[in-house]
Amino acid sequence: MKRSKIGITAVIVVLLVVAGLAVFPFYWMFVTATTSTSGLYSDSPQLFPNLGDLGNFADAFTDTPIMQWLGNSLVVAGGTMVLAVVLAVPTAYAMSRFGFRGKWVVGLSLFLTQMLPEAVLVVPLFSIFVALGLLNSLLGLILVNAAFVMPVIALVLKGAIDSVPIDIDEAARVDGASRGRVLTGMIVPIIAPSLAATSVIAFFHGWNEYVFALTFTSQDALHTTSVGLAGFIGELTTPTQQVMAVAIVYTLPAVVLYLLLQRFIVTGIAAGSVKG
Amino acid sequence: MTTPVGAPPQGGSARRRDPRRIHGLRGLPYLLIAPAAIYLIVFQGLPLIQEFRLALSNAKLFRPNEFDFVGFTNFVRIFQDDGFWQSVSITAIYVVCCVLGTVFVGLGVALLLNHNFAGRGVLRSLVIIPWAAPPVAIALIAIWMLDARYGIVNRALRTVDLAPDGGNWLNSTTFALPAILIVTIWQLFPFTSVVILAALQSVPAELHEAAMIDGANNRQRFAAVTWPTIRPTVGLVAILMTIWSIRRFELIWLMTQGGPVGSTNTLVIDLYRESFIIRDLGQGAAIGIVGLLVSLTITVFYFILSNRAARSEVTR
Repeated sequence: MKRSKIGITAVIVVLLVVAGLAVFPFYWMFVTATTSTSGLYSDSPQLFPNLGDLGNFADAFTDTPIMQWLGNSLVVAGGTMVLAVVLAVPTAYAMSRFGFRGKWVVGLSLFLTQMLPEAVLVVPLFSIFVALGLLNSLLGLILVNAAFVMPVIALVLKGAIDSVPIDIDEAARVDGASRGRVLTGMIVPIIAPSLAATSVIAFFHGWNEYVFALTFTSQDALHTTSVGLAGFIGELTTPTQQVMAVAIVYTLPAVVLYLLLQRFIVTGIAAGSVKG
Repeated sequence: MTTPVGAPPQGGSARRRDPRRIHGLRGLPYLLIAPAAIYLIVFQGLPLIQEFRLALSNAKLFRPNEFDFVGFTNFVRIFQDDGFWQSVSITAIYVVCCVLGTVFVGLGVALLLNHNFAGRGVLRSLVIIPWAAPPVAIALIAIWMLDARYGIVNRALRTVDLAPDGGNWLNSTTFALPAILIVTIWQLFPFTSVVILAALQSVPAELHEAAMIDGANNRQRFAAVTWPTIRPTVGLVAILMTIWSIRRFELIWLMTQGGPVGSTNTLVIDLYRESFIIRDLGQGAAIGIVGLLVSLTITVFYFILSNRAARSEVTR
């Protein structure tokens, strides 16, 4: 009994260290954003946030085009989410509820898209986007981001629909509900947690995306936050505090939503990756 | 039962009765899948075909759609280029270290989180945060923390006299790759932890109790009870990490752009540089094809191995 008590204390101590390492860079972002310029470059670093310097956040909003970047990111992420989920739900339903010829091809293709690196397809997509006139448009970014995240979502949602008993479909059909009603009225509400989790995954896929946004948009007005933020690297005019303030504003929604929905996201990802 | 619409199902595969599936509507599943299928063909299939065409062409960035086919010239050129082989070996080092690092750290943290104690949920939430954060933000804070003079890492290391020469991490051919590796593993171990933790929690408690009654110690219980249950998950996480590290772009591009002197130049960095800085789309595409073939080979190997493992499990 005594030994296991020591054991569990050691476990907690090690986990505290791990959690500290996991969180420290975010803490340091915040400390940096709330340090005065002289404090940043003094010999003894300021180790705690100075709430008197919160004005750096306000400066970041007035001195950088962050509002425009966040707006563009919101459009791209929201569009990616809607498009990916709208395409994935019927696919997942068909994959779960129907046996049909060529089904394994669909399943395999969905899995194989996982192996196509964005950085590989960015070259041919560039040439296709030139031909289609999709360069320098947020719509182009939505179209390409959704294509990369939709297969994962379809696989996760298929797993979710698999776990809904088919009796529910059949009972509703006996009562005269159409197939569309069964899907939207019965199944979608039951898999709502998975739907929420996959929506968050799709949203932040678009929110975080960098390669395509960097390569396919050259106009400043179309920069997403990822591209705008990355533009600070090696640029010396913007104060480091403001850069970190922008980084925090950009990171916070992702972290908060993941934490709120982590139970669903983790089970969804685990189920999706186990099914592969 | 369902009312059949149109012709009744015919042919072997549709006739098999699976109570979990609906039968009788042959066209409907195709109709449901069609939008996604067409969409994926346009935005994944066509680019893939175009990738092969570009790899066999002399396309340049400023005229991406007017090119001549030049056979395997691009491949011959990259295979004769020492820089290409350097980036192949850097990719191999990067991938192997990422996979080992994320899987071992993830497994360790998952085993620790699998204990019962107050506050476990909070710790698990904190550990998950790096995975949720955008890579661009992570690259930014990493660059600042590793700053030669004012970065907190060097400030801390200097107090114990362990800072590298001049505090150079990302400007050093020795330390840039390890620094990027640490950041990558730091960002990805939360994912491996939570997935392995989910598998650990599916290990039946009775098995542990039975092993304990038989007098098995911790290590024996891990080998006999825990490991066989989580092995498929660990294998799957390992292959995911392999594919993800081969394709990893943002962190490396933002932290070093493949430098200094090519010391962090993985294949995807190399192909991006070749395509959009040197502006040779054909050459870039050829490098991309090589990268694609490598990850395809690894995945196929993985499935052969895991199938064989599953089969030997059954016969045992």
